[in-house]
Amino acid sequence: MIPLQVLSIIFALFMLYIARIHHKKGHMETFEYALWAFIWVAFMFAAIFPQTFQGIAETLNISRVFDLLVIIGMMILTFLTFQNRIYFKRLEKKLENVIRKRAMDEG
Amino acid sequence: MRIVVIIPGYNEEKYLAETLRGVLKVTKDVIYVDDGSSDASVSIAKKHLHHVLVHETNLGKGAALKTGCEYAFSHLKADAVVFMDADNQHSASDLPRFFAELKKGTSVVFGVRKFSSATPLMRFLGNKFASVLMSALYGRYIPDIPSGFKAMNKTAYKALVWNSAGYEVEMEIAVRVIQKKIPYAELEIEAIYHDNDKGMTAIDALHIAKSLLQWRIGL
Repeated sequence: MIPLQVLSIIFALFMLYIARIHHKKGHMETFEYALWAFIWVAFMFAAIFPQTFQGIAETLNISRVFDLLVIIGMMILTFLTFQNRIYFKRLEKKLENVIRKRAMDEG
Repeated sequence: MRIVVIIPGYNEEKYLAETLRGVLKVTKDVIYVDDGSSDASVSIAKKHLHHVLVHETNLGKGAALKTGCEYAFSHLKADAVVFMDADNQHSASDLPRFFAELKKGTSVVFGVRKFSSATPLMRFLGNKFASVLMSALYGRYIPDIPSGFKAMNKTAYKALVWNSAGYEVEMEIAVRVIQKKIPYAELEIEAIYHDNDKGMTAIDALHIAKSLLQWRIGL
């Protein structure tokens, strides 16, 4: 096993642990926790047995499984960042409305 | 015609009392909107004014102006509002000219500062850049867009209602005035620059440029 695989597994285990903590604290529903657990277990599987995904990588004309994982990771990150931005802006607007209303009510 | 002066402020304890004293010599219809100050601004304002609105946290100038306008039009039944900065950069002696312009029926009045050798260079360049960019994108040159001294009547406010919470509100008001073809006037005003002039940062300027493009393509 090469160092990159070891590092990937440690990172995935750490992320599984983080997801579990948030699930236990009630920050995450069971469905979302299961989804993240699946993602990180699949990530570990891909890190230990990269050859399993070789066929998919070749079909997509990607030479290494590692590159395939990086591309998938980037796609997930872009999606999550976009979602976060939308949620953040919505939250910011709600907060602004609440603060402005309170200021006027107490004025 | 009831005209209310709205003064938004954030940590303005140094100049607020002076600003309020100047304005109160001209009119008693004044609202101070504190945008989450951590200094003594609120207590200073309460000593001078009856209408002090307080944002519990800092939202930005656009949000403070909107709070002031909504309070003025709905609670005080104002017909028009005048915006002034809280840092005593504007001269209250210019207020009667704003009032006269509004009473003549002008929907929006832009206060345009006289630039002189006392004008900070970055301020001058930033203002020119905003006007030139506006002119390039919208075909209309409005001088000194970032000036916080402006006025509008209730009808204009309802047509303009901005989304910007921060500094870019000045730009958005100018853009909406042009887009909605609202008649406006420009008034030359005095400008006093202080050592602690906060003004806009380069990040604010970039944000404004981005917003201008965004509004231009209608997003």
